[in-house]
Amino acid sequence: MPPQAQQFLDTLNTTLPLEGYLVVGAIMFAIGAWGALIRRNAVVVFMCIELMLNAVNLTLVAFADYLPGAGGVGVGYAVLVIAVAAAEVAVGLAVVLAVYRTRKTVNVDEVNLMKG
Amino acid sequence: MVVAFVFLASMTLISALGVVLSRSVVHSALFMSGSFLGIAGFFVMLNAPVLAAFQVLIYVGAVTVVILFGIMFTQKPQVRGFGTIINQQIWPGLYIAIGVGAFLAYVLTIEDWTATEPGNGPREVGVLGEILLGVNGAPPIFQLLFEVISVLLLVAMVAAIVISRRKVGEGVDRQGVEE
Repeated sequence: MPPQAQQFLDTLNTTLPLEGYLVVGAIMFAIGAWGALIRRNAVVVFMCIELMLNAVNLTLVAFADYLPGAGGVGVGYAVLVIAVAAAEVAVGLAVVLAVYRTRKTVNVDEVNLMKG
Repeated sequence: MVVAFVFLASMTLISALGVVLSRSVVHSALFMSGSFLGIAGFFVMLNAPVLAAFQVLIYVGAVTVVILFGIMFTQKPQVRGFGTIINQQIWPGLYIAIGVGAFLAYVLTIEDWTATEPGNGPREVGVLGEILLGVNGAPPIFQLLFEVISVLLLVAMVAAIVISRRKVGEGVDRQGVEE
């Protein structure tokens, strides 16, 4: 095997720095925030909030794996975040169903029941 | 490692963009499950295979199915134009999202992380269980959080039933049912 190829393989096998995971988490959080701001459909807004929660989970788990003083506690917090997100989806979709039953729409721009 | 990272990062981010920009709601839901699968792969790379299993079971399985049920109940599966699905804030929203992403990435990378090494995560399920129960050196606050989260799940389940059920006399399929 030529030394260039061996060097390339070694580059591919190196461990990644922590910044890679953190930047992916930050970009994913930004995409989720963008979707939650611009979409009209309430169900899609829920999906974008789920994306943001997953980005935060990724950041927590990356810190838990890389920081020696963390003791892996971030994974425990990630489990708690997953549970809260599941509860949020259940209640949120129930609210969407109730709104749809009364207003016949899930467009968040048209739902203005509490507007004074 | 690098190949897996590039593959998972592109899968996650492209699927996330697909959630925001796809014109069919069902496609958005399927893109969302793809993004969750990418995150599960990241969890495997980060020495948390138990959490990856949770992610696949809860997010790719349960949350996607619940959201597909919500789509099924509330809208017709049809492709709409971009003018219909996106409100007037697309460009201000994009600037704010780019600002948030750039700020977060800057704050997270300005720190010097060269001294950190991977491999500190709780690889065994027993270690994760000890963390969740707050024993063997884990923060004891987890004892409280674990109980609170289980009560929260019960309350959320009851709340979902209460919010979404029909009132008495409303709808058609409650006729003949004794109250």
